Amino acid sequence: MKILSCYSIKGGVGKTALAVNLAFALGEAGHRTLLLDLDPQGAASFYFRVDGADKFRMRDKQSLAEGLRRNIRESDYPGLDVVPSHLGYRHFDILLDGMSKRRSQLRRVLEEFKADYDVILIDCPPNITLLSENVFRASDAILVPVIPTVLSRRTLEQLAGFFKDQDLPAKLLRPFFSMVQKRSKMHREIMEELPAEQAGFLKTAIPFSADVEKMGLHRMPLLAYARACEAAKAYRALCQEILSESGL
Amino acid sequence: MLTFWDSFEWGIWFGGHLLYSCGGVYRLASRDHAEGWLGTVSCEERALGRRRFWEEFQSEPMRAKLEGMLGLRGLAPVAEGTFRLRRCDLRNQAGKIVCRLEWTAVCAGAKGEEQLLHSCRVLPLLGYEAEAARVAQYLSGQGASAPEDEPVRVLLRRAGRLPREYTLRPAFGLEMETPAREAVGRIVRKMLEIAQGNMPGILDDLDSEFLHDYRICLRKMRSVLSLVKEVYPAEGTRRMRDALGDLARQTNRLRDLDVYLLARGHYLGLLPPALRPALDEMFRDFSAEREKEVRRTASKLRGASNRRLFLELTEFFAKQTPHGPAPAADLPVGPLVYRAIYKRYRKIRSIAAGIGEDTPDETVHQLRIEGKKLRYLMEFFVELLPDKEGGAMQKVLRRLQGRLGDFNDASVQQKSLLDYWRRKRSGSELGLGLGGLVSILYQNQMQARSLIARELEGFCDPSTAAAFKRIFKLPASAPATDGQRTGRP
Repeated sequence: MKILSCYSIKGGVGKTALAVNLAFALGEAGHRTLLLDLDPQGAASFYFRVDGADKFRMRDKQSLAEGLRRNIRESDYPGLDVVPSHLGYRHFDILLDGMSKRRSQLRRVLEEFKADYDVILIDCPPNITLLSENVFRASDAILVPVIPTVLSRRTLEQLAGFFKDQDLPAKLLRPFFSMVQKRSKMHREIMEELPAEQAGFLKTAIPFSADVEKMGLHRMPLLAYARACEAAKAYRALCQEILSESGL
Repeated sequence: MLTFWDSFEWGIWFGGHLLYSCGGVYRLASRDHAEGWLGTVSCEERALGRRRFWEEFQSEPMRAKLEGMLGLRGLAPVAEGTFRLRRCDLRNQAGKIVCRLEWTAVCAGAKGEEQLLHSCRVLPLLGYEAEAARVAQYLSGQGASAPEDEPVRVLLRRAGRLPREYTLRPAFGLEMETPAREAVGRIVRKMLEIAQGNMPGILDDLDSEFLHDYRICLRKMRSVLSLVKEVYPAEGTRRMRDALGDLARQTNRLRDLDVYLLARGHYLGLLPPALRPALDEMFRDFSAEREKEVRRTASKLRGASNRRLFLELTEFFAKQTPHGPAPAADLPVGPLVYRAIYKRYRKIRSIAAGIGEDTPDETVHQLRIEGKKLRYLMEFFVELLPDKEGGAMQKVLRRLQGRLGDFNDASVQQKSLLDYWRRKRSGSELGLGLGGLVSILYQNQMQARSLIARELEGFCDPSTAAAFKRIFKLPASAPATDGQRTGRP
């Protein structure tokens, strides 16, 4: 079982679009996939039309695993289940704080799902907290969407700095370009420079697309309603790249 | 229209799967019904002609799965029917699918003349069980009732082909006190029934296992009559043993040819690649001879004299047939069997004591035959053996018999390959290939011999001997000497 997470400190960069479409593509490719929506905004759950999770008590590793399992919802698409978001996940931090080995507790919880899934994909909240750190330590790869702009470049550097400070392996970070506009000179330039400065960049870039923005209207993954558009093709290519790199 | 396939042993069904074909596509589905009555398709393959053995399939997953469930068995159609399947999704207010409805109409025959079943299933999505339960409740309220049986089973029942466990080692319901004639009769009747059940498969030549099992049944019947002695009058017993021997003999050559043809891959694998094509001619000869032999055997099996022999056997061993007195007829079978087992074991030990590097092959064969008698005894009367020790003893015996079998196979095969060469006497290529093969088989035989000695040590060691003695030696017998109790004679 591989654990992949979609993460960005900055909002509005295509993080949830990545989680939703990658989850769909993984399931479609025959991998039993669980999408864990840890972002309290619950956008991924919304796209899959899944209501918020039922409340459950998070006292320890066991109750957390049981609570998550009780909240698994089969999506409308093959091979893909979803654990919807819940406002209570805000308390994750406090819960984790109270546990021993508090920085690696999430990995232990997710190991309980090993028999049922090939991939667990986590949509993370856009901030750096104890929960994010747990997600980092649980993940086999952290997928970071980067819009080729100056500001995004800066946040990526911040994230790399945080990894260094916390002694987290830098090779977990797998950035890729998101919402790319080929006609923008600045986009093209940053896309040339940044991969040389920051290691681990995935080759596939996701183009900016009005179709992606319509996901909210359709309430389904882009890949389910506009399979042939450029962005959809790019998500599938990204999925293939991740699969071949993670040895799945 | 779907055609369902399975083997005589229902390997696919009991392997938890269904195999069906439709429009030239074979689909293998697990029989879990999670995704509908036709199971979850795990592999599929387009096939132009009919497929009989797992080797005839092309795709690797299909081959691997079928090999495990079929072995040497061939596929035959078990039922045909038309399935009409309609599905729809039920959604909640948010537009999320909460369950799926599946309507199935099952009809027998190609045109769907006779409708056997009409059903609707509610398939919940994980996490939406409560919603699905409400839908099911609503449907019941509208007069729907839960189906009594799954559609595939309904179809099989109509075809008169319900899956049945098949075994060559059935339970006979024996007890220590069962009168010997009754016990032997039960065993023979059951084996006779299994033998006859295998006959249609031999006539259709569906796979090699029908003949194999048929021969085992005949051998076992013959064997039980000599292992538990004097339960029927001597003259009748002799007549029946002769009849069984005659029946078995008719099929000897066909079985030999089956063995060679099944071992083709094994034989070729023993030779270096350069010598392999040399054996093509021999296998072609065997195949051609087999064609003729199948027809000859089938006509014998169908023939009047054969039917008469079976009739005679059936009548002789029928429960109500009166027989004259015989010394052991009414004795309880348990002590008789225990005595026979102990006697066999001691006989094996005495032969085993003389086995060494230069023992003649005949002595080793003798050992194998005695071992087989003991194995049959323990198999027929397994219900009378103590569970734990009986199982352990059978395990040791099986291992020994396996080695002895290897030895015997290698020796018999050398002989028959050389016979073939003497008859044929053509082509130096073939001679080269055969020579190579015979040498390797000889090496194998020698190797098997050295392994036999090791297995014998286990089988004859003092603790096994003590266990046999403790369990099977009855108090009425003369007390054992110290030598017998403590070591190999």
